[in-house]
Amino acid sequence: MSDKLDRWADPPLLVLASLAGEPKHGYAITQDVAQTMGVRLSAGTLYAVIARLEARGLIEPLESEDRRRPYRITAAGAAALAQQSERMSKVASLARARLSNNLGWAGA
Amino acid sequence: MRPPAQVPSATLLCRTALAVYPPSWRARYADEVRALLDDSGASPAAIASLAWRALPAWLWPSRALHDGPARMRASLATVLMAGSMLIGLGLVFAQLTQLQGFRPAQHPVIGWCYAVFDAAFALSLLVAAAGGLPLWLLMLRRARREVRPRDMAYLLLPVIASAIYLAALIGTLKLVGGPGGPGPWWFLAVTLTGFVAAAIAAAGPGMAMRRLQPRGLALRLATTAAGLAAGIMLIAAAAIAVAVIGLCLWARGFAGYHDATMPGVYLVLLAAAATVTAVSAARGTRAALPPGT
Repeated sequence: MSDKLDRWADPPLLVLASLAGEPKHGYAITQDVAQTMGVRLSAGTLYAVIARLEARGLIEPLESEDRRRPYRITAAGAAALAQQSERMSKVASLARARLSNNLGWAGA
Repeated sequence: MRPPAQVPSATLLCRTALAVYPPSWRARYADEVRALLDDSGASPAAIASLAWRALPAWLWPSRALHDGPARMRASLATVLMAGSMLIGLGLVFAQLTQLQGFRPAQHPVIGWCYAVFDAAFALSLLVAAAGGLPLWLLMLRRARREVRPRDMAYLLLPVIASAIYLAALIGTLKLVGGPGGPGPWWFLAVTLTGFVAAAIAAAGPGMAMRRLQPRGLALRLATTAAGLAAGIMLIAAAAIAVAVIGLCLWARGFAGYHDATMPGVYLVLLAAAATVTAVSAARGTRAALPPGT
């Protein structure tokens, strides 16, 4: 069931969250997202997201001597990630409270 | 973090998947994607996903990869070329049916399709001409002022190519056109020559745009008008498709529609021209819109 819910994951948010730690290149992002968030990003999805985030100024490329160009989150990207995280946190708290009150869910 | 394994990405499938992306996207990201596929393994699923993601890259190109005027000029040149093919296919449809005075079976769907085609075709040409004329005149004036004879020739190609084609067509019809019109091979030759003339005519302004690099309001107006005209032309193309299918279904004895081969080939060409026109028009129109829309 959780695998099916992966499609609801927001790839731009996952990439921003991954880059919030340190600058990473494409492969490192996919590895980090897979290990820490349990979502596998394909090359097509990842570079569609990178192109979009870069166009919006939320991430920026760094100089690279080989083909593996690293990206880092910008100030605007960090602000967008913080705002979205806050919103998700509220949704998560609300969901936990309602599950607990109405369905007796005690949490994992 | 270093990659665990090296899997060569230079497979034909991988190259093909990257080749379907827009050139500006490839120039910016292709090397990185190849590196990622080398590191993670170019599985068929990854390559299929990569190829599928090319569609949004064409439809919604990143504004960061192209400056707006360059995007508009490139889209306009492609719309001109694909649109002229679409117009040519529309004229073939009209020539094979209405203009020759044939009266197809009076099925209401076919009748409506002809009416929609007539209106959409005429309106599309009108919108394209009205929107493109200021840009054409602007470039013509600049080419004259700066004494650029090659650009003048490029800009006048639509007029010259059309005039030569029409003169050749009239001459040919006088020579070989009997009471029943020219034979099928002559019709085919005249049609193919028409497509070549249309391609030459459409390439002229595209080449001039590439060399003169116009910007500003006239370019924005022409691109927006091209997008609108392409949208209307797509309605005409849809009407043609429905009419051709309708003729094959309900009027098989009319103008050779008893054999579905030629209508099938025609519809494939129509769909290809309509797709290229629609994608290019959408890309150009998006670039013409103010940022943030």
